[in-house]
Amino acid sequence: MTTTQHRAEAKAAVRKPEPRPSARERGTRLLAALFLAPTVIGVLVFTVVPIAGSVVLSFFHWNVIDSPTFAGTDNYRAAFTDDTVLVSFSNTLVFMFFAVALQLLLALVLALALDNRLPGWLRSTFRSAFFFPLVLSAASISVVMKYLFNQEFGVINWLLGHVGIDPVPWLTSEDSAMAAVVLVYVWQQFGFSFLLFVGGLNNIPKEIHEAASLDGATGIRKHLAITLPLLSPTLLVASVVGIINALQVFEQPYVLTDGGPGDSTRTVVMVIYQSAFEQLRFGEASAVGVLLFALILAVTALQFRLSRRFVHYQ
Amino acid sequence: MTDSPHSGLPRRTLLRYGGYGAGAAALAGTAASWDRLTGADIPGRDGDSLVVATLGSAFDPAAQRALREGFQKLHPDIKLRLLPIQATDWSDFFAKILTQIAAGTQPDLVYVATEGVQLFAQRLGVPLDTWVKRDADELREYFADVHPSLVESMMYEGSLYQLPVEFNAADMYLNTAVLRKAGAELPPPDWTRDQFTALLRELKRGGGSHFTPYFWTNRLWGGVVPWLFANDTNVLAESKAPGGDWLWNDFYPADQRRGRGGGYRWRTPLATHERVEEVYDYLASLIRDRLCSRPEGGNGDNLVGVFSTGRVGVTPAGGFWAGGLHDAGMRRTGYDVQHFPRWRTQRHQFGAAGYALLRTSKKQDAAWEFIKYSVRKDVLAELFLANQTTPARRSMVQAARYAKTGPTNWQVFYDTLDKFPTTGPIPAPPQVAEVEQLLLKHTGTALGDPRGVRPALRRLQGDLEKAMERDV
Amino acid sequence: MIPVNRMTYGLSSWARIAGLGVVALLTLGPVIWTVSTSLRAPAESFDLPPQIIPSAPTTEAYSQVFAQIDVWLFALNSTLVTALIAVGQMITAGLAGYAFARLEFRFKKPLFGLVLATMMVPLQVTIVPVFLILKSMGLTDTLLGLIIPAWPTAFGTFLMRQYFLGMPKDLGEAAMIDGAGPWRIFRSVYAPLAAPGLAIVGVLAFNYHWNEFFRPLILETSTDNFTLPLGLVSLQGNLGTGSVSVVLAGVVLSMIPAIAVFAVGQRPLREGITSAGVNR
Repeated sequence: MTTTQHRAEAKAAVRKPEPRPSARERGTRLLAALFLAPTVIGVLVFTVVPIAGSVVLSFFHWNVIDSPTFAGTDNYRAAFTDDTVLVSFSNTLVFMFFAVALQLLLALVLALALDNRLPGWLRSTFRSAFFFPLVLSAASISVVMKYLFNQEFGVINWLLGHVGIDPVPWLTSEDSAMAAVVLVYVWQQFGFSFLLFVGGLNNIPKEIHEAASLDGATGIRKHLAITLPLLSPTLLVASVVGIINALQVFEQPYVLTDGGPGDSTRTVVMVIYQSAFEQLRFGEASAVGVLLFALILAVTALQFRLSRRFVHYQ
Repeated sequence: MTDSPHSGLPRRTLLRYGGYGAGAAALAGTAASWDRLTGADIPGRDGDSLVVATLGSAFDPAAQRALREGFQKLHPDIKLRLLPIQATDWSDFFAKILTQIAAGTQPDLVYVATEGVQLFAQRLGVPLDTWVKRDADELREYFADVHPSLVESMMYEGSLYQLPVEFNAADMYLNTAVLRKAGAELPPPDWTRDQFTALLRELKRGGGSHFTPYFWTNRLWGGVVPWLFANDTNVLAESKAPGGDWLWNDFYPADQRRGRGGGYRWRTPLATHERVEEVYDYLASLIRDRLCSRPEGGNGDNLVGVFSTGRVGVTPAGGFWAGGLHDAGMRRTGYDVQHFPRWRTQRHQFGAAGYALLRTSKKQDAAWEFIKYSVRKDVLAELFLANQTTPARRSMVQAARYAKTGPTNWQVFYDTLDKFPTTGPIPAPPQVAEVEQLLLKHTGTALGDPRGVRPALRRLQGDLEKAMERDV
Repeated sequence: MIPVNRMTYGLSSWARIAGLGVVALLTLGPVIWTVSTSLRAPAESFDLPPQIIPSAPTTEAYSQVFAQIDVWLFALNSTLVTALIAVGQMITAGLAGYAFARLEFRFKKPLFGLVLATMMVPLQVTIVPVFLILKSMGLTDTLLGLIIPAWPTAFGTFLMRQYFLGMPKDLGEAAMIDGAGPWRIFRSVYAPLAAPGLAIVGVLAFNYHWNEFFRPLILETSTDNFTLPLGLVSLQGNLGTGSVSVVLAGVVLSMIPAIAVFAVGQRPLREGITSAGVNR
């Protein structure tokens, strides 16, 4: 504790370009330094340093066993020419788009449907149900889903059979495997966005709805014209968190399809895992990791930029 | 946000004391479990133990305890620590071992299957040759009991790297209730591919709408490669390294050492070879005629479940399935095994496993003692009580072992080696991880789409060529 | 006019409830199937139609789980790890969230950005360097090695910042006019109000880390250090030969604490996620 304190004091003492800060300001800075220390030190040691390590490693060939040799930009060039890596990036983006879009759409519709005209007990039952899959482990639930999605023996195809749909080779056809992975992911995740939207809707003042109703706006039109713009800050948070998580998807494809058939469900994180831990190409894996990190950063920055135009704060 | 004047203070005080109480309890709990948190309560962590990494899912806790205690009784001077690694399959297992090696905390011995034999031999392992020669008399009984094909699969460029502990060959499992329902008999040992197809058709007629005659998963080399072997071809052209005479001449009679060498070499990809195409076309035709499922990837097999309940009639697997079917509630007469059908040949595929000694080990002599201990008959008997695998020793594959779990035709397991001396290991060069991944990936494409076979094989060939050029 | 309106409301309400009901059923269906299959004999695992209410329920699969793995030890490990991560995250997130919300200091924005950016780093990218760092600290293959790196929490910090921002500013200003310093303001004005927010962080941490698989898989090697999700892997058997009902019984057992925390912590959890979406 004391060392942090000293360091914080020293820091506060070193920077002094402006007029001497008041005692209160210094107190505030000291407190801020103390409060931030655990988080910032933790982030530095367990994220920033490892990331730097990965960046360095991405310029080396390293198979774990022998000492690393300098590779220049080989690993990046390899990543940009390797079909599997390229496909995994496009898979991940496709996955992200459908997973996030479906998740937000489903969550939004459900949150709007669950308004206060329903009895309270029914609302809380539904809320709990929608939310429940979030507390389960992605890996375990994917094991379960693998049974349910089986082409020959799965419950899902059996149910579809009742409405006259022939058995779908969910996990064993390149045409449908990604859809199955998206469905399993959305099934588990939509509750999160759903709760965000419920909260966002509660925050919209009732008067606005009433005013809109008086003006004759009803149903979908009312939602499109009035609710959505007011909900846009929540939409932003939901989509940012949704996209960041979706770009890192691993457990579902790993358990359900192992990336197959072919490369049809191989995501970037799976490629990182496989080239590092299965094929001992830690340098290449690091390069792909750095590229993924850059992609996530870019997508998030883009979102915030776009949000300036479309998000309306009250 | 503000409390009402009446309840405000007491409630807040209460909360505060509650908070202090919880904090104190948390501290006390943490202190009490400090040894648990730092792992200080785990015996044998002080660094001077012989560390042996095993595949965790293969042995239950009781078997592991027996393994450890038996060794300590024999060698009280060697401290032993078993690390059962949790992994669903071999690539999971290797991933974890490699992380340990990357961090410089590697074990002395690692349980390695055929998949990893050459990778470990080339990069990490120590040849056992000098010890084997030194203790030849002690080992004579072991080698006499173990088929030379298994031993040869653990050699690399003339040296022996592991002593086989267990193996599993790809034989055919058949559900007898399904056979009976279709009015079919258990096929003869020398059945052909066409008889196999005819049997599937018969079963299909007898089965209901939720029945699939033949089922396989696209994992662990289990689906396609046995068919390649039967059609007298392979993923990679197979040849043998010179050497190994030191072992063959000393331990095996002339008729058994004929044609043996210093281990396998797999170098040139054969994916566009006409016989490989034949195999894929054949499997694609089975899928088209709905005689067989499309290959599945991923973890969490349900194969044992669907086979044991008669939703599947026939599937390829090794001796390890006997234990699995028993656990799934199948009676010993509910199923049986037969050899893989003949195509151009009736060569079978197998995978074996044993302990590999790592170069970095500072306790190599102690490790060798453990390797010898691990292949003793009494030790194996204790370890493989539940038939979760096939012991490498012929004398252990006998009626009593299979009396409880089945199958009736248990002789098939060792006959796969004895009756078909060309039966060989999974093609696993040092580039194994990439080869396996490419094979699984392109097999998925080839058989996921009826027109996909040839283009997928061409891509497989191209990718394999690139992979084989790479130094691991 | 009004009665007609009510009529359509009534109709569409029923349609709405039906629709919501179907979604709820689809959401809970897989969970119900899991529980019911774990209570059936292995031979009935794949029955179609699935017997949702087992005709001959058996707890055999559960006895198998206890016979095959040391459930109690793994549960103790999981509890220690999750509880200490939760408490640690409450502390780090509470403090840092407060600093970001209510204190003025230099580099606030970039620091906050840095913390948030850690959300974007896939675990698989950093696991090897993290392993090396833990090794230098002597923490490989210990439970502490799982706990300490999990203390800094981007989402928790974000939540607590939102939470503190949501408290009326005048409270602190009033205290300041009374002459309270920054510590006093935190200690006696804002901290006492933070309990519900901290509960959210705790419950979220519990939920995530109770189910965590990848880090324990890579970092823990001794069986004695396994957490529950890692221990459950053995149930899949040698090369996937484990029986379905036993695997699912393990899944159900590992769900129970998560469900318990869900039942108790549902409200804070819901409110936490809810408040995160409200921009301030």
